Amino acid sequence: PTLPQGWAGEKDFKIVGALSGATQRNVEPVGPHFLAHARRKRNNRTFSEDERI
Amino acid sequence: MGDAAAPAEAERFAIGISFGNSCSSIARISPEGKAEVIANEEGDRQIPSILSYIEGEEYHGTQAKAQLIRNSANTVAYFRDFLGKEFKSIDPTPCHPSAHPQQQDSTVAFTIRDTESETPNTVTVSEISTRHFQRLRRSASDFLGKDVNAAVITVPTDFTDAQREALVASAKAAGLDVLQLIHEPVAAVMAYDARPEATVTDKLTVVADFGGTRSDVAVVACRGGMYTILATAHDYELGGASLDQIIIDHFAKEFMKKHKTDPRENARGLAKLKLEGEATRKALSLSSNAQISIESLVDGVDYSSTVNRTRFELLAGKVFAQFTDLIQQVVKKAELDVLDINEVIFSGGVSHTPKLAQLVSNIFPETTTVLAPATSTTAINPSELSSRGAAFQASLVQEFEHEDIEQSIHPMVTVTPHLTKAIGVEFTSQSDVTFQPLLSAETALPARRIAQYSAPKEGGDVLVRVCEGARVIKVTKPEPKAKEEKPAQDEDDSDFDSEDDEEEETREIVWKTEKPVAELAVKGVKANGKIEVMVHVNPDLGLQIAVREVGSQNAVRGAVNGSA
Repeated sequence: PTLPQGWAGEKDFKIVGALSGATQRNVEPVGPHFLAHARRKRNNRTFSEDERI
Repeated sequence: MGDAAAPAEAERFAIGISFGNSCSSIARISPEGKAEVIANEEGDRQIPSILSYIEGEEYHGTQAKAQLIRNSANTVAYFRDFLGKEFKSIDPTPCHPSAHPQQQDSTVAFTIRDTESETPNTVTVSEISTRHFQRLRRSASDFLGKDVNAAVITVPTDFTDAQREALVASAKAAGLDVLQLIHEPVAAVMAYDARPEATVTDKLTVVADFGGTRSDVAVVACRGGMYTILATAHDYELGGASLDQIIIDHFAKEFMKKHKTDPRENARGLAKLKLEGEATRKALSLSSNAQISIESLVDGVDYSSTVNRTRFELLAGKVFAQFTDLIQQVVKKAELDVLDINEVIFSGGVSHTPKLAQLVSNIFPETTTVLAPATSTTAINPSELSSRGAAFQASLVQEFEHEDIEQSIHPMVTVTPHLTKAIGVEFTSQSDVTFQPLLSAETALPARRIAQYSAPKEGGDVLVRVCEGARVIKVTKPEPKAKEEKPAQDEDDSDFDSEDDEEEETREIVWKTEKPVAELAVKGVKANGKIEVMVHVNPDLGLQIAVREVGSQNAVRGAVNGSA
């Protein structure tokens, strides 16, 4: 983190760019973290929604 | 579905099975939550995938393996890779000393005398596999005292759909409900990650599975407990058998010096040499000296001799190089450098060879963990990894309905966008700009990571720049003198120079900011304060970023819209 000088942004936040592309890959359907991921994806839930349940 | 259906029908008891060409093993999760490989009634945890018949009686595992000498025509071995394949596409070489595979309709079959009658039967490879699974199932059921009726089975990454279907069908015929087929390298990674003491981290792992007749290597990206295979390489002729051949040739030559006959030319002599040679090779993995003794090797002559490990390693140098080449090849195929690899997992029987682990750890930097018995005290027995991983997965999905599992492993779920670049935070100190990755490249989306960074000592207002970063390999040549002379010598011996310096130069990973994404300001940070940065990436590449000083409730938040 650095000290800004004369830096301004709306609500202290400024968008400077966007991410460059993603690749489609196959996740291996194993392990507890994948099963949690599959559960979220099938029910269209987000992380926080999933945590609440 | 009513409650009435529950008692007999729904009782499912699943184990993990690793089914190999040379050996198979069975494992379960113990009540204490640890993976445990089950020994069969002969006490073997590595059960040879061999079936043999004498007078209608079936022999399995080690007992069947011994029959390769006297009863080779009625012994079936190395059949896993024939399942679900056309006869034309198989390589029957490993079956040369046992029952030969032959064509039957569209599948592969063996002609063996498996009943008491004198006329041989033609048995398909599916049927052989079913009988093999029946024996494995019985061993597991006997050990556990429960009827084992379901399993997760490991398969190589290059198994075709036809092979998978054939495998599931033959397991089903043996009374095993296949819950899921999982890939061998991922099972090996999971066997390590599922241990209670393991922590989930982001890492790049190379899984080197060195088997009996084939070797497979894979690069697996582990990101937050999710696994993605980045590249694989296979060698269908390299394995423990290649090392056995060195031992066989060595002893055969020694025998010829004394007795003028080549035991390899006699089928039975060769079979004996093979069986004992393999045992000798395995003994050399444990001790520095090993014996071989064979009764009536050929022409009624007994033979016994010893060999030491150094001698063996010398003779096997070329074969070892093939193993290490395969690893280097796969790292290259994944477009990575050895510096990127955090962990090498040795799997498969040949991984017990100490020299091989040493040679492989020489390829990688010191920071890379090489998990083999010879290089790490915490390494798990490489022969057990696949079945342990399968057992772990079996315990996870045991309760699920088939439909649930099928939906979860559907491409709709498994095909996920992965980050191409790492995302991190840029730091600016007095002189230089550094970058610390927070989300690694090849992370499956959506993903979220939180990290804490210390703010400048004096506190005050702080700028957090979230950027995309790239990894660069910095090569430092330790000789500054060479630089001065360079202009003059550049043309004639620059090639020579670079080759010569190669061993001394140091290569390291350096992170470079490629593209800033967002800037956030945290105002009025206390001296020696810490700042917590949370980055969440959506599947559409949108970002949510929140930054706050540790201990305060006020966070600066922002979102970047996704492009996709």
